[in-house]
Amino acid sequence: MDISKYKGIYLQEARTHLAEIESGLLSLEKDPSQKDVLDALFRHYHSIKGMSASMGYTPVMRLAHAEEDLLDKLRSGKLSLNSSMATALLKCLDALRELTDRVERDEPLDVEITPLIDELTASVVGGSAPAATQPPAASVAPQPKTEALRLSEVMKVEGSVFDDLLATVGDLFMALSSFKALSHSSRSIEIKEGVHVLGKSISTIHKNILSARMLPLEDLIAGLPRVVRDLTSGSGKEVSLTSEGMDISLDRAILEGLASPLVHIIRNAVDHGIESAQERVECGKLSVGAIKIKAYTRRDRAVIEISDDGRGINRERLRKKAAERGLSAERLASMPDRELLKLVCMPGLSTADKVTGTSGRGVGMDVVKDSVEALGGALGIESAEGKGTKIIMELPRTTSITKVLIVSIGPEQFLLPISKIERVIETGKDDIGGGVFSFEGVQVPVVPLAELFGIAEKARPGATLILVDAGPILGAGQHLAALKVDDFGDEIDAYVKPLLPPISKLWGATGLTIMGDGRPVFLLDVQQIISKAAGA
Amino acid sequence: MSKRVLIADDTEFFRLALKDILGRAGFTIVGEAENGAMALEMAKGLKPDLVILDVVMPVMNGLDAAKAISALKLPLKIVMCTSLGYEPIVEEAVRSGASGYIIKPLSETKVLNTLNSIL
Repeated sequence: MDISKYKGIYLQEARTHLAEIESGLLSLEKDPSQKDVLDALFRHYHSIKGMSASMGYTPVMRLAHAEEDLLDKLRSGKLSLNSSMATALLKCLDALRELTDRVERDEPLDVEITPLIDELTASVVGGSAPAATQPPAASVAPQPKTEALRLSEVMKVEGSVFDDLLATVGDLFMALSSFKALSHSSRSIEIKEGVHVLGKSISTIHKNILSARMLPLEDLIAGLPRVVRDLTSGSGKEVSLTSEGMDISLDRAILEGLASPLVHIIRNAVDHGIESAQERVECGKLSVGAIKIKAYTRRDRAVIEISDDGRGINRERLRKKAAERGLSAERLASMPDRELLKLVCMPGLSTADKVTGTSGRGVGMDVVKDSVEALGGALGIESAEGKGTKIIMELPRTTSITKVLIVSIGPEQFLLPISKIERVIETGKDDIGGGVFSFEGVQVPVVPLAELFGIAEKARPGATLILVDAGPILGAGQHLAALKVDDFGDEIDAYVKPLLPPISKLWGATGLTIMGDGRPVFLLDVQQIISKAAGA
Repeated sequence: MSKRVLIADDTEFFRLALKDILGRAGFTIVGEAENGAMALEMAKGLKPDLVILDVVMPVMNGLDAAKAISALKLPLKIVMCTSLGYEPIVEEAVRSGASGYIIKPLSETKVLNTLNSIL
């Protein structure tokens, strides 16, 4: 029989078993006596072995067989789980995952598994050496293909399909904008009505795709217990990880972008926050440190808080480090605590003096902050010395369609978020003197975008100024700034994608949209541009 | 008339494979159980001619299910289905009521030969 058609169901079930195995092993490590967990683990390995043998995935079968064998001894009480067994089993799990991925990609299954099986055997201390780790002799010969063609009953949809769908809806929104403009100048009721219906339908599709792209936080954090285990292993620290509100769902792209900041925050908490068990007991804390992840929604945004009950951020050391990086002592002394804590996100500033095996790899909180902001989110830090630290991330739940204004500088086009724009002014060049423009009696600083971006501007008599709300950056009650551009175009609904690595650190842009004709156009980061221009 | 078969295996992969093999050979699949307890209940209700039982299953394993189903004294045959290395165990099952066994990995020939020799 043709086995290839079972590959889909094989992958699906194997991955379910692997996920169960991981949580089972971690729970067993805490309490090795759980008979039901041992039984379940045995069955998971057994199922993977059986399926892999049928599919002819011999290395997977051999590995699962060795693990099943060990689990059989554990569940029958012939052996009891020790930490080297757990480590070996987790290593094997990683290998099984790798093998499964290779199966999916149709790559050769040439992962070295014999050392893993040896390690598994070696981890059995005190028990009789399991001779049964040798693989079963039978090999799975390819079977003749005899059955009629039939389609698989399992359908899997790649996440990228939704990316494409969403991008297409972005294009539709843009095409709609053009039609809207046409319909305004048209007298035909039919056209106006048609455009209206089209707009409603596109919005409905948009909403449906957005909800199909949503995944619960649970899916992202499922791997964290393992991260914590690996971080604490051999560190003399014990950490319990708890979570709350993980049923809140976010767009897949946002969750993806969150993965690395999240691991980094947890890593910081384990390495720099949580004290060693001994140190904790000495200062009257429970020996096991606690890391809590809590998520909730605030209006249409998701808030994720990661708190630990460790030693907190040492302000004195933070001031010292910041001073070393050139901040004046006076400024540091008068800085409010909230501002001081923000310094943790200064590039290159890490408050830990010691570089551990897992932290201090040159990736700091500045990268975390940048990643969160690239997703359209904001990062906050609260910390009480001796009591712990809380990192707060506020994030959009969906990547969305944003109203933007197209502006041009020389031959280039850029987008500005409508929400930031106060007014668009056409003016003569002479009205701009000394880098300021007088608007309703207020002196507004002019930011020449062409100069900032190094683009040659068009030669023309006048200038176009986009008055934007700069927020609190400029200080002294001044909120407006004028971005100088060559021209402005349509106001459109754009599907703005967050910038993801490798371009996530691109200066001056927060997102990217693909125009109807396939050109990528950047959404400008108004705040960042004005801060730079103002020299802040 | 085509024979009525009940399949019990906790792995969907194997249920699907068995269904395909048996379906093509003209058997009627009357039910699929995910564990021994479900198989026992379904055997009572569905009156199959044949029950195929996987050995390693949660809740109630295949051996216990085979004993319980045999005890019902229904006009049906039981075939055990298990992985390589479990032959001694299924042989015990055969002594306590099963008519035969199939060793995984499944092959169409192996499955049909076993079933034809029993039915």
